[in-house]
Amino acid sequence: MKQHPLCTDTECEPDVLNLPVPSELRQEWAVLRTRRHFLGRTGKVLGWAAMASLLGDRVLSGDTRLQGAKGPADSQAAGPLKLPHFAPKAKRAIYLFMSGGPPQIDLLDYKPNLAALYDKDIPDSVRGGQQLTGMTAGQARFPIAPSHWAFKRYGKTGTWVSDLLPNTAQIVDDLTIIKSTNTEAINHEPAIMLMNTGNMNSGKPCLGAWLSYGLGSMNDNLPTFMVLQSKLNMKEDNQPVSSRLWGSGFLSSEYAGVGLRSQGDPVLYLSDPNGVSHEVRRNMLDAVNAINQQTSQELGDPETHARIAQYEMAYRMQTSVPELADLSKEPKSTWDLYGPDAKEPGTFAYNCLMARRMAERGVRFTQVYKRGWDVHGNVTGTLPMLCQETDRACYALVTDLKQRGLLDDTLVIWAGEFGRTVYSQGGLSPENYGRDHHPRCFTTWMTGGGVRTGITFGETDEYSYNVVKDPVTVRDFNATILHCLGIDHNKLTYKFQGLDQKLTGPTPASVVQGLLA
Amino acid sequence: MSNRPRLAVQFDRLTSKSKPTRIQGLAALLLSAALLLLPWIVKLDGKPHADWQQLLGRFHPLMVHLPIGLLVLVPALEIAGAWRPALREAVAFVLSLAFLTSLGSLTLGYLLAYGSGEAGSTVTRHMWGGIALAIGIILCMLVRPSWSSRTLPFAYPLLLTCTLLTLAWTAHQGGSITHGSNYLTQYMPASLKSLTLGNTTRVQASNPTSFYTKHIHPIFDTNCVSCHGESKTSGGLRLDSYDQLMRGGKDGTAIVPGNPDGSLLLKRVTLPANHKQFMPAEGKPPLRAEEIAWIRAWIQQGASPTDATVAGISIREPRSDAPLIPVGDYSALEPEIQQMEKSQGAKVMHISGRPSDGLVLYTVDVASSFGDAQLEQFQSFAPYIVEAELGRTAVTNASFDTLAKFTHLRALHLEGTKVTGDGLAKLASLSQLTYLNLSGTQVTQTAVAPLASMENLHHLYLYDTPAKPTAASESTQPIVRNPQ
Repeated sequence: MKQHPLCTDTECEPDVLNLPVPSELRQEWAVLRTRRHFLGRTGKVLGWAAMASLLGDRVLSGDTRLQGAKGPADSQAAGPLKLPHFAPKAKRAIYLFMSGGPPQIDLLDYKPNLAALYDKDIPDSVRGGQQLTGMTAGQARFPIAPSHWAFKRYGKTGTWVSDLLPNTAQIVDDLTIIKSTNTEAINHEPAIMLMNTGNMNSGKPCLGAWLSYGLGSMNDNLPTFMVLQSKLNMKEDNQPVSSRLWGSGFLSSEYAGVGLRSQGDPVLYLSDPNGVSHEVRRNMLDAVNAINQQTSQELGDPETHARIAQYEMAYRMQTSVPELADLSKEPKSTWDLYGPDAKEPGTFAYNCLMARRMAERGVRFTQVYKRGWDVHGNVTGTLPMLCQETDRACYALVTDLKQRGLLDDTLVIWAGEFGRTVYSQGGLSPENYGRDHHPRCFTTWMTGGGVRTGITFGETDEYSYNVVKDPVTVRDFNATILHCLGIDHNKLTYKFQGLDQKLTGPTPASVVQGLLA
Repeated sequence: MSNRPRLAVQFDRLTSKSKPTRIQGLAALLLSAALLLLPWIVKLDGKPHADWQQLLGRFHPLMVHLPIGLLVLVPALEIAGAWRPALREAVAFVLSLAFLTSLGSLTLGYLLAYGSGEAGSTVTRHMWGGIALAIGIILCMLVRPSWSSRTLPFAYPLLLTCTLLTLAWTAHQGGSITHGSNYLTQYMPASLKSLTLGNTTRVQASNPTSFYTKHIHPIFDTNCVSCHGESKTSGGLRLDSYDQLMRGGKDGTAIVPGNPDGSLLLKRVTLPANHKQFMPAEGKPPLRAEEIAWIRAWIQQGASPTDATVAGISIREPRSDAPLIPVGDYSALEPEIQQMEKSQGAKVMHISGRPSDGLVLYTVDVASSFGDAQLEQFQSFAPYIVEAELGRTAVTNASFDTLAKFTHLRALHLEGTKVTGDGLAKLASLSQLTYLNLSGTQVTQTAVAPLASMENLHHLYLYDTPAKPTAASESTQPIVRNPQ
């Protein structure tokens, strides 16, 4: 019998029948064999059976037919999913992630009545016995801190915008402002995981990975999903972000986000080392791929295919990334729009410009992280810095996409992981205050392909504490994003751990119809 | 009939009398009269009545299938009986079953309409159809013995045919009530539709630009008219025209101009969703908050049928998102398309999981080498490509001839290419083109002028072209300010 490649059992018994042994011994051997071997082998059989069910029958049967060039992980995506499920309004998305939790009360959620309530305690009925973070739970008082900044009405829609965002204010007619986004997590790590992967625990694929898995690539020379981290401003309160946020979880790792560095070479070791010509590099890659291909055939581990794909992508990125990062051909109007910050690699403005260039080059999903919004104290000191770094760039990106005709099929999303409290964390003075994490409501915005622009969706109470109309959960938020990209969130699934896993999780989610164009 | 075995004929004579007795005839006459008088005795007044009536009544759609099935069986048995006479023996039994079940269906249907307060022309037609059907069955039962004995050879077949036709017509009316009157014709090809339905253009609204016509009426049309319309008039209220709306229903005036809180209609749609009187009823989706806000503001400001605007309400004109026009079947070309992708390096991807939505052509990987000659290679798939992403490729004006063959093209990207606009007029034949991006090219104002004739071209991008100087000087300049 041909031994299965997965079978590493070397205890094959000697062929006793052909040996010149006496017949009594032979009989004894047969007796011993029955009992001992039976018991011994039974244990292994159970083990093999367990492993077979873990690996799935395709791997065990050695069927490589489905394991095409894109790797076996694709076999779930190909065919039956039929993606996109319907003609999409947006082909790509740019997600501006404001990590740390921007204070909605100081930016877009205007609460004029709070000024009169300065330093009054927030009514218990509003808080409703909510559990607070360890940072403010011990506070004796929860004094209301009205926004330090004035608000004005802008655009045809007459949307109220804080003086902190003079440029975003110019595009309010193009935005879909969601005041009723709310989350279940109150601390950064679970909240940011929930926003990105639909689950507070790490290990699930993020939105970008689901999109690459489901929709595939529009181009071969750049990754489908790219992540840009903005430079740190040490004066800001920076919560860490990690690659878990753009990981592919149980999906093949080729769907994970590819990060560009904010300093030096955008991708390390991309350029050929000294003394290695392009041709040598190609030969080496071919040889490595051949070995990997062998390993893949022996072991059938889908990750081997992912590795081959990643090597190939890195090779192609040797030419595509320098072209992408070469801003010398951008006209003067670009710099007038994005501002001088955009010339410095790694700034949020630079990343926004890069996001536009990636959109032009067929990158499906770009996520730009801006950290520092965790304003527990010194709001009046930190917030202007944050807004100065981001306000003009957001405006520039939306305006730029619009004038170049890209906004029609690009969805732009601006969101953090939660909001901030109306009451002050620590001391409240007329000059300064702090704000703690607030999961019950936060403000986000979208624009571009698929969403109904020029509206404000959802309402919060007069303290910007609870949602009073049209709540949008993180699940609904993500389901709506998927819808804009032509995906039914209930149908984009992947079998793992006995579940049809999906971005929105097992709790029912719904596409927010009021946000759709 | 001559080939019927004698035994069977004798059996017929034994079981059914050759002539209906006087008592049978009298009973049939009385029953028919009672049925005919029913609508006058118990009037469908459009008001909802007891819940138990609806509870039972809702079994009507289930029950009706019994008489339908049984009645259709009758001609089948009669015809097949010509060869297998035993089958004809069952007819009298099947007919009486059909009669009993039709009476049952009629009762349940009546309970349903009466209990839920449904009235309207289709409901009325369906009711009369049901009554006519029951009477038809009675008559069939009455004259069949005379047919069996060949004393009246034509009355029964004629009556049976009429009864079956009545059945079909009545069933259709019933279906129209539950599924809507256009249920059967909705997906009919346009040519067939015009043939069967004739000219169905709807009566033009008298004030096509008024706020009522553009915004209020469509809300009622989508959410309410299926129950409050001409064919079904629940609660005596019709919302299918302004006059009907203002007339109100059995419960009173629906709209009180200037007084939204006193308007019954607004009250009903803003009740808690689990309230008994909440509208739209029966689990249909509630009105959206903004729709309610429009209705409220419109009533507040006089509920005028002619005013074009309502203060405080600004509604974006809906984008003319016409449903995608199917591109046809290209499954036979799939291998060729894959071959072409491989040889050219360009990608041809499905717009969606539904192949008829068409294909997108991506050239970003091979942009620098993708020129007019390469584009020409895609001609054979041209009608199936609905989006062509040719931005920053090497295509030139010479490609306009090829592109004119992309008859289903909806979006065309030519940004950053060498096209200068000569021959742009050739694209005018692309009637479905809604998006054209010429940003960063050398097109001039005169070159793009012919595009003005393209009615569907809503998105024309000329950023950074001589046709439209750099927009930075216009409103796109940011407010450079250091926020304090």
